[in-house]
Amino acid sequence: MSLKRSLTYLSAVATVLALCTGAAIADTTLEFAQWWEPEMPAGALRGIMNDFEAANPGIKVKLISGPYSATHDQIVAGAASGTLSDVVGLDGAWVNGLAKQGAIAPLDPLMDAAKYDRSQIADIIKVDGKSYMFPLASFVYPVFINLDLAKAAGVDRLPSTRNEFADAAKKMTHPDKNQYGWVLPLSLQTPNGIQNDVMSWVWASGGSMLKDGKPDLENPGVVGALEFVKSLNDAGVISPGIDATKEQDKVEQFVNGRVGMMIDSLAHINLIRKRNPNLHFGISALPAVEGYAGKRGLPYASWGIGISANSKHKEEAWKLVAYLMSPEVNGKLVSLANAFPGNVNAKPDFSKSDPLFAEAFKIFQAGKLANEFVGLPVAEQLMREMDVEVQKMLAGQETPQQVVANTQKEWLADFAK
Amino acid sequence: MQATLSRRAFVSYATRRKLVPYAYVAPAMALFALLMLYPMIAVFRYSLMDGAIIKRNPTFVGFANYVANFENPVFWQAVGQTLYFTSLSVIFHLAIGMGFALLLNSPLVNPTLRSLLRTLYVLPWLFTAVIIAIIWRLLLDPEGVINAILMALHVVGHKVEWFSSTTTALDALTFVNVWAGYPLYMVSLLAGLQGVPKELYEAAGIDGANAIEKFRFITVPQLTPIIISIALLDFIWTMQVFPLVWTITGGGPIYSTEVMSTYTYKQAFADYDFSMASSSAICILLMSLSATYFYVKHQKAQ
Amino acid sequence: MTKRSRLKSLAPTALTYLGLAVGLVYAGFPILWMLFASLKSNTEIFELPPRLLPRHFTLEAYFTIFADPIKVRFFVNSYLVSGVVTLLTVLIAILSAYAFSRYSFRFKALLNVFVISTQTVPPITLLIPYFGMVVAFRIFDTYYALILTYMVFTLPYAILLMTGYLNTLPKELDEAVLVDGGSSWTALWRVLVPISIPGIVATAVYTFLLAWNEFLFALTLTKSMEMRTVPIGIELLMGQHAYEWNQMMAMSVLGSLPLLVLFLLAQRYFLAGMTAGSVKA
Repeated sequence: MSLKRSLTYLSAVATVLALCTGAAIADTTLEFAQWWEPEMPAGALRGIMNDFEAANPGIKVKLISGPYSATHDQIVAGAASGTLSDVVGLDGAWVNGLAKQGAIAPLDPLMDAAKYDRSQIADIIKVDGKSYMFPLASFVYPVFINLDLAKAAGVDRLPSTRNEFADAAKKMTHPDKNQYGWVLPLSLQTPNGIQNDVMSWVWASGGSMLKDGKPDLENPGVVGALEFVKSLNDAGVISPGIDATKEQDKVEQFVNGRVGMMIDSLAHINLIRKRNPNLHFGISALPAVEGYAGKRGLPYASWGIGISANSKHKEEAWKLVAYLMSPEVNGKLVSLANAFPGNVNAKPDFSKSDPLFAEAFKIFQAGKLANEFVGLPVAEQLMREMDVEVQKMLAGQETPQQVVANTQKEWLADFAK
Repeated sequence: MQATLSRRAFVSYATRRKLVPYAYVAPAMALFALLMLYPMIAVFRYSLMDGAIIKRNPTFVGFANYVANFENPVFWQAVGQTLYFTSLSVIFHLAIGMGFALLLNSPLVNPTLRSLLRTLYVLPWLFTAVIIAIIWRLLLDPEGVINAILMALHVVGHKVEWFSSTTTALDALTFVNVWAGYPLYMVSLLAGLQGVPKELYEAAGIDGANAIEKFRFITVPQLTPIIISIALLDFIWTMQVFPLVWTITGGGPIYSTEVMSTYTYKQAFADYDFSMASSSAICILLMSLSATYFYVKHQKAQ
Repeated sequence: MTKRSRLKSLAPTALTYLGLAVGLVYAGFPILWMLFASLKSNTEIFELPPRLLPRHFTLEAYFTIFADPIKVRFFVNSYLVSGVVTLLTVLIAILSAYAFSRYSFRFKALLNVFVISTQTVPPITLLIPYFGMVVAFRIFDTYYALILTYMVFTLPYAILLMTGYLNTLPKELDEAVLVDGGSSWTALWRVLVPISIPGIVATAVYTFLLAWNEFLFALTLTKSMEMRTVPIGIELLMGQHAYEWNQMMAMSVLGSLPLLVLFLLAQRYFLAGMTAGSVKA
């Protein structure tokens, strides 16, 4: 009898559990998952959402915010189980996988239905001919230089060629003072360093790692860049601990005056100023090979935006995307985020931004955006495979030629999947 | 016990009595069946398919994913490193846990101090893996405190790149895992030591046994059951360690700290290949199940 | 001669204290370092040469956490989830342990092996199927998702510990109740449970620790800020480009304080409970 009673309790608990789980979400609410809210000034993104809600009565936006890496895991898991938010923030490296998986929706039908003017979008990321992602805001990666260290080392002008960069790095390196010329983050946890700090050297000089959309690493442009990185490592000008350094460590080292130069996102200007108000630093475009006269390729990362294939409110979701991409809102958003706009007609107001930003805008206008990983299949995996090979090169186990040959082989296999 | 039960048609007291234990274990078993058995079957099914989850209509490929894993040298490297990492962790957990337990159990120590130290020594247990990873990454940075101290003491002559050199990374990682995991042993062994009858030591003392002999012939045999249970469970748990390794090294440099869990994670979350990831996961499962086999055998022997 | 024998008797004491001191540095230094880092500015944490003590004490990191209702919510969530998991785990573990300790039944050995084998399932394996199940049950991004899944990982060892503890209690105690005509239910709750406090405390502390620090499922089975727990809160302070180092440290200091208090208060029971659990499991 008492046993029966216990079972009754248990079933009661189960019933309560079952009842509570039925709690439904209001159906006009759009979920918007991204990693941007924490990266923008407090309340900034929410403010833009409030404006959107005011302009579109009947639609509410729920922001799902997390850090970059957690957002990535969540989007992958969400895609696998059909719980992806209606509107999702995307990194160019994720698009291909999510599109092939059918997790994000092609935007073409929505654009057609709305008679959307595509020419205003700076860059539409496509997979198999269909549009999946708009870069909402782009962050360019120039070289940051600690001007105090440069001055003390007798470096009087910003390096513009690889030789000048190597020379400046050597002059700024003083291991006894824990001071190094450059920092290279190659941690395998997030292998972005391959994109931002290694392959960027290739793109800056007009080189490429692809040919007709297929891997083409065994070319002088890529080998030359790897030889350059190797020479810097051999010269001992890179801050130690390369293989365990993450992007976040890179920034801290620069902020604390431990390294003279780093390749980093413009988005960091405010952060660096906040962390160390006394740091004097300048920026310049990534150095190119001697004698290169073409447009400088500028590595960049972007906050991309797309719509979930499972969304039940695609029309509303499109309204939000179009709103964020509209010249006025886009301009406002990128001014807040210290980024460059995704809408060509947007006129961001950088007057309140850091003076360096005006300089960066000039670099941006003189160069061209270059990030060949955007839209590639399993881009993160590609970077990781190359990262391992580059680590082998820095450990003296492989030559740059072997690095490109091995990576080429692995990439071809990935592309064939 | 109930063997002499008569098989009457109506629900007799005896039958009810026979059902009682099943009722008591029912909640736990229902939970396990729902949240363990079912997902395991699902994972096993994925592992036999090509492009599970990702493809609309995944095809059945038999053991092809397993074969692909077995043909990958990195898989075997990860297996080897998992076993190395796990075995060393278990051995040092035991050694350090035992050392601390013996020190804390020593009658020479003032009881108030003992209770305070007991709490302080347990501290590493209280932190989540992410923060442990962050602290140790900072402490073991080439420019970090540990190198500074070691260089001041002339133990090392240059800044050691603990986590970014293939020769030290796995050992450094094991060191951190040892630090994070010894308290469970310490607490269990301390509890065990307090349960060892004092008379045994007194008798041995009369027979002229010294401290080492007492440890060897009384303490160790008395603690053996605890040691075996904890070590086996720890073996199983350590084999699955993920956030710590992932946050500190991500498996690098060059695969030197790749363990089964990071290997699996990359397949699932970087390569989006859930079928391959499932087959690797089943391999981890089989490895730890073999440890369970010994555990069960040990329990039966008791 | 007296001097030598006195030296000889002092040596073990000195060695013991030396060992304890070394142990204290080993266990405590990283945590002390973390504590002081939480009182520094982000920039100072990276200053060279590294210093243990802050040059400028600042409680800024702590203020920032307490001023942010979302961050406070992480703590509330962690307490709630860990508390409920602990309660349910202990309850269910007591029931199972009672059966394992006091009855012999046909599938006992098999179920016992099953319980232990559940420990061998790598959590990472379960991630994808759980994700699907949690969505199907419509409990994605709720406390229930975390509570339910955590119990799968806390229960097995909890059952082992409790079974071990009940095994140390003489059978005559509950048999007396049965002989007097009481039910097994009464025997369990009126007689065994009240004298099993140490075992229950050990089980509860262990469960609470596990639930409090869980990371992987907390990350993937919830998504809104309102449902996040402390370990995820710490992860949230790692931006794409920069970490809020001092806040991460402060949050883990704050997170560990209740556990420390819990352990201090419960340690006597805890040790007693562990003994039985490990010897007779």
